[in-house]
Amino acid sequence: MAEEVKKKRLTDIGPHDYNEYLSPMIKNNYGKWAYHEIIDPGTMVHVAESGDKLYTVRMGSPRLVSGSFVRDICDIADKYCGGHLRFTTRNNVEFLIEDEKNVEPLKKDIAAMGYNVGGIGNIVANIVHTQGWIHCHTSASDASGVVKSVMDELYEYFVEDKLPSKVRIAFACCLNMCGSVSSSDIAIVGTHRKPPRIDAERLRNLCEIPSTIAACPTNSIRPDTVDGKPGVKVNEETCVFCGSCYTVCPAMPIANAENDGLSIWVGGKVSNARTKPTFSKLAIPFIPNDPPRWPGVVNAVKTILNEYKKGAEPGERVGEWIDRIGWPRFFKLTGFPFTKYHIDDFRLAETTMNYSSHARL
Amino acid sequence: MGKKHQTPLLDELKKGKWISFVKEIERAAEKSERTEDLLGQVEESYRDKVNHWKHGGMAGVKGYGAGMVGRFSEFPEKYPGIKECHSMRIIPSAGFFYNTDFLRKLADISEKHAGGLLNFHGATGNIQILGMSQVEAEDVFQAVAELGFDLGGSGSDLRTPSCCAGQARCEFANYDTMKICRHLTEEYLDELHRPAFNYKFKFKFSGCANDCVASAARSDLAFIGTWKDKIKINQDEVKNYAKKFNVQKYVLDKCPTKCMWFESENLVIDDENCVKCMHCINELPKALKAGDERGCSILIGAKAPLVTGPRMGMMLVPFYDVNEDAKNDYEWLKSLISNMWEFWDEYGVSRERIGELIGRVGLNTFLEGIGLEPIPEMVEHPRSNPFIKFTEDEEE
Amino acid sequence: MTDETKKKVEDKILGLVTEYVGKKRFKPIDIVKEMEKEFASEGLTKDDIKAALKDLMDEEKLVYGYAGGSFLTVPENK
Repeated sequence: MAEEVKKKRLTDIGPHDYNEYLSPMIKNNYGKWAYHEIIDPGTMVHVAESGDKLYTVRMGSPRLVSGSFVRDICDIADKYCGGHLRFTTRNNVEFLIEDEKNVEPLKKDIAAMGYNVGGIGNIVANIVHTQGWIHCHTSASDASGVVKSVMDELYEYFVEDKLPSKVRIAFACCLNMCGSVSSSDIAIVGTHRKPPRIDAERLRNLCEIPSTIAACPTNSIRPDTVDGKPGVKVNEETCVFCGSCYTVCPAMPIANAENDGLSIWVGGKVSNARTKPTFSKLAIPFIPNDPPRWPGVVNAVKTILNEYKKGAEPGERVGEWIDRIGWPRFFKLTGFPFTKYHIDDFRLAETTMNYSSHARL
Repeated sequence: MGKKHQTPLLDELKKGKWISFVKEIERAAEKSERTEDLLGQVEESYRDKVNHWKHGGMAGVKGYGAGMVGRFSEFPEKYPGIKECHSMRIIPSAGFFYNTDFLRKLADISEKHAGGLLNFHGATGNIQILGMSQVEAEDVFQAVAELGFDLGGSGSDLRTPSCCAGQARCEFANYDTMKICRHLTEEYLDELHRPAFNYKFKFKFSGCANDCVASAARSDLAFIGTWKDKIKINQDEVKNYAKKFNVQKYVLDKCPTKCMWFESENLVIDDENCVKCMHCINELPKALKAGDERGCSILIGAKAPLVTGPRMGMMLVPFYDVNEDAKNDYEWLKSLISNMWEFWDEYGVSRERIGELIGRVGLNTFLEGIGLEPIPEMVEHPRSNPFIKFTEDEEE
Repeated sequence: MTDETKKKVEDKILGLVTEYVGKKRFKPIDIVKEMEKEFASEGLTKDDIKAALKDLMDEEKLVYGYAGGSFLTVPENK
């Protein structure tokens, strides 16, 4: 009997060679681009030293996509781009077009399929976000649903250029903050407000006590004896509800339907242009989860965006605008209350106080 | 086809102009039936305001300790299709460039062996295939490997490195981000597949200070393109821009070091005082270009909040001659990385990122450990407190 | 390192991890440090110990676990 030929198991093959996916024009002009121009919020052109012109049409995506979505964008890329396309770090699809004549027909096709073209220039960029209730066990909120609700409301700002500068919004469903959430123009962050619940029985089987204790940023977890056996206790006075212990020890769940929700942070950026990169700062400490449309979060983001649009000078990012007008004015304009939660009380908190007589009165 | 589960709350998110992820999940469910159950469970989350995934449980492929994230439903009887709903991370093509042939095949794999759902891309930059069970993992891995793709990082390992589009499609790129990204991924494949660190470690490569991959906010080692010599000025193009908008107000006045001014109609730049922030080049791309002596800055220690708070990347090497080092397969850089990892191995504790370690032991101790000298570019300003710890070598 | 020594190291590692299941989660570097102490007199290098560790993983006598961070453990069915 003939033996079945066993295929060699593939392993450790490493990253794919990107050169295979570069279009001829990109290969010819690699490292020799001269400048680019933004034609409209969905289109830009990169001009090479050789005079070659590469057009890019950008299309929004929800990051979580179906195989059918992938085939849709492949159909477009096959029809107009010689099968070449790329994604951006903010989960947009970019069609790379070598023949200018294909730009408008491509955009028409995308629109006909119900997809969104935009995201270039002084716009609200696609929201980078996490998995949320769809795929994460530590989430304090859903991600995709909040993002969809906010983007529906801000849709006009994705497709039209009418802001002082670009506005980057990011979403993280817990303090693990997968993604560069903590330095965005507007950040929406899932937040717990109650300490973890300890299941002593499960903890004994599932958790390593020293690493559970070490997981806490405020040293609020201490060894304890429960029914004569080793366990832990939580000092609820000092716990900051970060969920780090739950990450390490499954027997300390922290999710709490009535007390979980979202916080809003503003004024961060990662670019070094003009000013140094900076973290986002707290605007609203807590908004309850309100699925499916999270109106509280949507309104808060809209309020910030409206005041920014009214008050910022051309070219000013949200953080630069607030730096110029000052935080008291930011809170006055937005109507968000300034509370005790806005004053830092964690490590390095002292560095955030106002050591001067400067005040806009 | 009738819906398996009623989802009135999720249905609300099919309305509106922005592309709907609910519709995407439904489209995936048309091809991969198990995903019906995902809709059912997520609807329950929307009702209960809490996620319904269990904590813990492993998933993986033989020989690797990374690349898959295990996910188990809290209600396996009610939603058998997502009893196991693991995701697989796949190292992307550098710069996220693809062709349709690969993407179509990947879509097929995701529908045949998983939930028909993908992420382009996850937060670190991996392609993710969602919704597979452990018994399917090997088949998916081999199918993906047949296409020439390998699994990405997860856990306490080198996470999948990522980079901007770089010189492939950007005039701002000061070095070949895609080349170094691919090279180091290959070099450290073992560190990526077999977690052996105290915690995660990330590399990100940005071609200029605009930092499109947010390297300075989210990678332990960030490479940000820069240059040493003079900005190249095309005075005619400057004049063209000056006819279109107020260059003085929107470009010169916003320069962080006020290192540029007009002398009659000509733009003059005091390059020695330029911090390479990119603002003027962003605003006047036809008129201004980075100099010829290009390389990158290396920043260290950025991370998200857990465990001891968020950190931004801090300057470690102001100018790394990456283009020269590339000729030697990045030998200088690899030796620096090896020193860092050894120091981190020796002195770091579990779940301590390298930035937190530096915070704990102090920058001087770290510099000594990895063999770099302290230089003023590393600090915002010298210390202002007098608590100096003099060491014996100063007393000679 | 002779095959005999390697076997000895592997047995020691396996014994250590098995003994501490549920009590301590060893990262690869923890094991390397322990074994360096254990076999100090025999002049084993880090790389020797790492090689022994890799053998154990390839044979699936040790597998990875994850709880906030990665660690090594014995397969669940054993």
